[in-house]
Amino acid sequence: MPRRRKSNKELFLNGIFNENPIFRLALSMCPAVGISTTLMNGFLLGIAVLFVQVFSSCTISLIKDYIHPRIRIPTYTLTIATWVTVIDMVLAAYMPAAYKQMGIFVKLIVAFAIITMRLEMFACKNDFVPSFWDGLGMGLGFMFGMMSLGFVRELLGMGKLFGHDILGFRPLLFFVLPAAGFFCVGIIMAVFNYVEIVYKRIRERRWKRGYS
Amino acid sequence: MDEILKITFRLTISCLLAAFVMGGVFVLTDKAKKHNEHMEFQQTMLGLLGYGKENPPPEDLKLYTIYRYIIFKDRKKYMGYMVPKEGKEGSFHQMIIMDLKGRYIDSVKLDIRQEEALERENREKVLNAALKDFSGFNYADMFIIAEQGGKRVAYLLPGRFPGFKTFIKVMLALDPKFTILGLEIMEHEEDPGLGGEIEQDYFKNQFKDKSLEKVRRLRVIKKPLPEDYKLYLEMKRLAKGIPQDQIQKIRERYRDDDIYAITGATISSRSVTNGVKKMVRNFVYRMGMLDRIIEQQEIEVPFS
Repeated sequence: MPRRRKSNKELFLNGIFNENPIFRLALSMCPAVGISTTLMNGFLLGIAVLFVQVFSSCTISLIKDYIHPRIRIPTYTLTIATWVTVIDMVLAAYMPAAYKQMGIFVKLIVAFAIITMRLEMFACKNDFVPSFWDGLGMGLGFMFGMMSLGFVRELLGMGKLFGHDILGFRPLLFFVLPAAGFFCVGIIMAVFNYVEIVYKRIRERRWKRGYS
Repeated sequence: MDEILKITFRLTISCLLAAFVMGGVFVLTDKAKKHNEHMEFQQTMLGLLGYGKENPPPEDLKLYTIYRYIIFKDRKKYMGYMVPKEGKEGSFHQMIIMDLKGRYIDSVKLDIRQEEALERENREKVLNAALKDFSGFNYADMFIIAEQGGKRVAYLLPGRFPGFKTFIKVMLALDPKFTILGLEIMEHEEDPGLGGEIEQDYFKNQFKDKSLEKVRRLRVIKKPLPEDYKLYLEMKRLAKGIPQDQIQKIRERYRDDDIYAITGATISSRSVTNGVKKMVRNFVYRMGMLDRIIEQQEIEVPFS
């Protein structure tokens, strides 16, 4: 039986929970580990990736019929690079305060695996509107992952959140180093999976109760 | 063969399209971007001098930018300082050329106004025409003399030096006796939470009030930052008041201390300290030479 096409809402939620880029697909671990040292960084990078993902997905879904199959990857890279450059220039010109914080990160986005993979797995086979929702879901899922990492690492590593002192002292500076990034990703991944198991269990119980 | 041609053609078209899009956006946004950079530069300068939104700069505060060039003639190297001047028809510049030992060589008049000289391309155009007798020139750096009421109040030095990751761009403010008035980190790519802490007040403000003799021998010490010093350094950010007499005492106590390193970021701390040291040393030497020549040759300059 052919798989039913997912609705737009399902695509959107899929990117945040079922196929969360960091905790499920395990893609783009580099920025997840290296840049999520503070909550603000996680948030800013998440926003930047969200924009690039949505724009790239939409662009590729529009031109998917014209891409020669053997040069798919260079075409994706070209699209992503163009959008990143455009976003970088627009930010520098019209939002200088945000650019000062995000500037270095935006340029790195070209190398992220998540965007290329999403274009390859979804955007080049689907129409504009589903691609838009998928891109939005993936981008938000990435941002959610980065922010949860940033929350843990900034709080435990520096005792601050968004730059404001919460704890007043530094519990363990180790959390700011990249090695701790790996540990945190692993632990949050485990928590994520466990929460899903519990959620499914509760839902099944409710469903069974509905029948009896 | 057919395939390869098709692929090449499509790739070329895609690249050209992408180039058009990026070029178009660049043309549209470049002016705004340059304007923002210039505004940030101005704000940092005024911030270092103690002026800001709540405390606007007075009318008689004047900033004169001097550009330093290295000029070549055959095999010899000369130093050129592009100094602003006031004339009857408007402002122009004069390139004072000296050899590396500080002996005056020549002066060349440059027909370019102060606002035009802010753009590097404009300067290069004028210099290409004016320095025909020389084989070439290279832009080195620039500094700004701040004048108030006809007297020098500060020097502002933008500078760049290698840090732990790539370069660190700073702006340093010195008073007329070359004591450090303040340090601002303009650009860096250090690790957030570690080297990135050089942006924090508790590191930057340690450089304030360091005299020239202290800066010449400045080092980084790996000791924890004393609590009262930290409170004094972060006074503005924490908006915590400390009684006046205590402020004076803390200042005197720590004025001749070396720089306390950031925990987990010794290399970044050292990079900034050594970079500032080098900047100050070079500037003092060069400013001395320039002042001497201006006096000797009785060159008329708008700054005293």
